[in-house]
Amino acid sequence: MFNLKQRVYDEFNLKKQADELGVSVWQTPSFLFIIMGLVIIAAMTGIYVVSAHYDSPEVVVISESLVVILLFTIGNSIIRTVEEVAKANKMKTEFVSIASHQLKTPISEMKWQIELLLIKFSTGLSVRQTEIMNEIARSSEKMGRLVNDLLDVARIDQGQLALDKKNVNFCDLANDSVESQKIFAKARNIELVTSCNVDKLMVFADKRRLSVVLDNLISNAIKYIDGKGKVEIFVENVDGFAQVCVRDDGVGIPKNEQDNIAEKFFRSNNSIKNRTDGTGLGLYIAKNIIEQSGGKLWFKSIENVGSEFYFSVPLAIEKETVVA
Amino acid sequence: MEKKKLLIIEDDLVLQKALSEYLITEGFEIKCAEDGEEGVKMALTEKPALILLDIVLPKKDGYAVLTEVRANEGTKNIPIVLLTNLGSISDVEKALELGATTYLVKADYKLEEVTAKVKEILNIK
Repeated sequence: MFNLKQRVYDEFNLKKQADELGVSVWQTPSFLFIIMGLVIIAAMTGIYVVSAHYDSPEVVVISESLVVILLFTIGNSIIRTVEEVAKANKMKTEFVSIASHQLKTPISEMKWQIELLLIKFSTGLSVRQTEIMNEIARSSEKMGRLVNDLLDVARIDQGQLALDKKNVNFCDLANDSVESQKIFAKARNIELVTSCNVDKLMVFADKRRLSVVLDNLISNAIKYIDGKGKVEIFVENVDGFAQVCVRDDGVGIPKNEQDNIAEKFFRSNNSIKNRTDGTGLGLYIAKNIIEQSGGKLWFKSIENVGSEFYFSVPLAIEKETVVA
Repeated sequence: MEKKKLLIIEDDLVLQKALSEYLITEGFEIKCAEDGEEGVKMALTEKPALILLDIVLPKKDGYAVLTEVRANEGTKNIPIVLLTNLGSISDVEKALELGATTYLVKADYKLEEVTAKVKEILNIK
């Protein structure tokens, strides 16, 4: 929603801008524009005063030249700041991308060797040894997911997130996600209920990434319930879109933070923040995956009552069925 | 039934060994190459049923291997599965344009899933 008051406030919140851009307050474009505006007003007044008191055209030309030099210097500072920020951002994105690729190799090595050991060469391993190997496997999975999240963010920022779109039955996907989360729900004493009013809902999307979005929303709903509770998942066909709603009766999102929750690294200051782990990247990635799939993601939330997260993706059309 | 021969072109020996051992237990005959040049030579001499190909390789990268294998009359129809940890739009598009059958990100796939993909492409139940 367009919020003029908020926009004006953000424009003048120089400290926040400086923190976000990683520069000093005097280097922020807003600050420099304000200075430029003041200089223009002062210059116009000055030139008016000068021309009213002196008949000499040289004085007017010199004062105008001084103003032009001053404005040129400020303009140059603005351009330099923007360039510096853009360069730093590019370097940061490239660094994350390279570091993540390098990390993926040892993660793949670990994953494949553990799998080989557990599935093909497990004879002779004691129950405890198998248990430890399974723990290591889970840790490497977790590390893999973290690296993937960082890499996805870097790719989103570079406009390079690849989606492998195929025809997928959305109902199967939702059921699989719910099944995979049941164990976590049970461990936290949370009831997981699914309601799908159709058997088949074909969408043209990236199956793996859509699963990431579903897993993310369901696991968030489970994580943010304090104590016993219920998570409901509704799947339906709404005007040519497959639509999902994940509803929980958890801690909810404080109203003043609702505009920020899909921002990178943002974590809500709710009552159980310190008891839940997270990077603040999940929703940012989910929103981008859904938007790149031609759908949208939105939510409703009331603090201490619960949240409803929705997303929709377009249903597959005949032409795409042939391509797939 | 005769064992299907697969060629793995991968310079990371830990990954190469894990993948080949897993596939051997699944009933495949495995040949391995550690760089792009050796990979192209083995593709021409061994005529495998399918090639599992890494992209970042010494001497000749995966894209060059893909181009050469596709350009040769005797090997142009061999299915090629690219196995890599690169995964941006440009990497995927380039691989598919050059004629890769499919593209799998190593860190995201289990050996079981890679094997299932190989069997699916070769029509093995």
